Amino acid sequence: MQLTAIGTVTIMIVLLGTFLFTQETLGKIGGDIVRQIEISVFLNDKATPADARALTLALRADPQVKAVVYIPKTEGLRQMRELLRGQIDTSLLTINPLPEKLRVQVVDPESVHAVAARIVKKPNVANVEYQRDAVERLLRLSEVMGRIGLGFIVLLVLTAAIIISNTIRLTVYARRREIAIMQLVGASNTYIRLPFICEGFIDGFLGALLALVLLAVGRWQLWPKLLSALPFIPLHDAGIDLRLFALQLLGVGAAVGIVASWISVGRYLRT
Amino acid sequence: MISLRGVTLIYPNGTRALDGVDLEIAKGSFVFLVGHSGTGKSSLLRLLYREQLPSSGEVVVDNIRVDKLKRSRVPALRRNVGVVFQDFKLLAERTVWENVAFALQVTGARTRDVMRQVPRVLDLVGLAHKSRVFPNELSGGEQQRTAIARALVNNPKILLCDEPSGNLDPVNTNEIMDLLHRINLKGTTVVIATHNALVVDRMRRRVIRLEHGKILADEERGFYHVTTTEAGAIDAAGSATRVNNGLGQSTLFSE
Repeated sequence: MQLTAIGTVTIMIVLLGTFLFTQETLGKIGGDIVRQIEISVFLNDKATPADARALTLALRADPQVKAVVYIPKTEGLRQMRELLRGQIDTSLLTINPLPEKLRVQVVDPESVHAVAARIVKKPNVANVEYQRDAVERLLRLSEVMGRIGLGFIVLLVLTAAIIISNTIRLTVYARRREIAIMQLVGASNTYIRLPFICEGFIDGFLGALLALVLLAVGRWQLWPKLLSALPFIPLHDAGIDLRLFALQLLGVGAAVGIVASWISVGRYLRT
Repeated sequence: MISLRGVTLIYPNGTRALDGVDLEIAKGSFVFLVGHSGTGKSSLLRLLYREQLPSSGEVVVDNIRVDKLKRSRVPALRRNVGVVFQDFKLLAERTVWENVAFALQVTGARTRDVMRQVPRVLDLVGLAHKSRVFPNELSGGEQQRTAIARALVNNPKILLCDEPSGNLDPVNTNEIMDLLHRINLKGTTVVIATHNALVVDRMRRRVIRLEHGKILADEERGFYHVTTTEAGAIDAAGSATRVNNGLGQSTLFSE
């Protein structure tokens, strides 16, 4: 029965660890993408470079704006010629069709709608463009994943806690004569509880330790394969402190074991 | 030492185990609680070591209101009240020594206190020579003496015995009762719930008779009276009494 409890904690921590790691990594990728989203501000035909520079300064004064880059129409034409080289003969272009343009980056990706809405009202602004749908989808996905993640975590933890609790109850039942005599001769509840709390702690800790071994092996085997299979997605875990992550998972396992056994023994002592 | 005032105990199934019981037991007393099965003897004892709470009334043990005691203080009460049962309740996988020492160890006693106290009580109950024996290698009387030693090892002021001779033959019964008598002489208050009439009548101590949860009689040097419709009349004032059991048999109780 104890092996069942340890095994359940192992499964819980493996699933929890995988889920949290995935969520953290995807969150970072999503965050990076969202942070890189720029608002392209196109000025109208009447706008002069001076107007563009004035608007640049005005936008830089906005606390929600992180950076503004002014791309004069001449520079825009040069970049377009560079991009289209070999595809079409850009010498056929005798006039510059491109407008003065600003590239704006925001401090908080969630404020991009508000900032764009402000910019479009500025004088000489003809149009603003940003990947509105992509931003909204990413932000919503992050929110949904967070909620699903929380529900999933709660379910996993409850399952492990119930299994450990039942294991402890069986142990308590097996030792009921001894416990009854301990209560009869005046042993305190803490004294009676302690061995079972230790057992719960050990079940949770060992289960988490085994899970960490499995997770480490899994990462060692799968991570290089993922990186080479998905080169276009910036997979990285530089931001995740793996040692801290491992300690946290160990802590979760041990805590689940302690709490489950505390409650389980407590119920017996109260009856 | 022990005081019950207006104590009523009604179990969840509606059984009225005790009904308005008033009782005082002085320090150093030796008391029998008698009555046939189901009259409330065991229930009364369970109130005294807080295994059960009364439905109403006051229970006082050694100046402590047991019915109002916080759960966290119950272990301390139980170190002061030794309890002995009909089925001994020994741990089969531990020796006599270990069974008795267990009661000290779980209350946090130091090793030197254990080494001092355990031989003392084993000596008192006459089992010093059997300290390394396991319970299944002992006679019924020896097992009960081990249980009494465990109940005494914390030096309780009160010893409660619930049918201590229930599983014993007459010889062992007498030995146990003599032991309990010696323990009482040392100052421990002893309360014994029993339906063993011979023992009660032999010892002629205070007898509290329970019937349907009420105290029917309380006599200082009492006899055990069997109150059934088939039994003959019992003359408590006489030195010898013949009691008929309605089946053509009679037993003579004498002092």
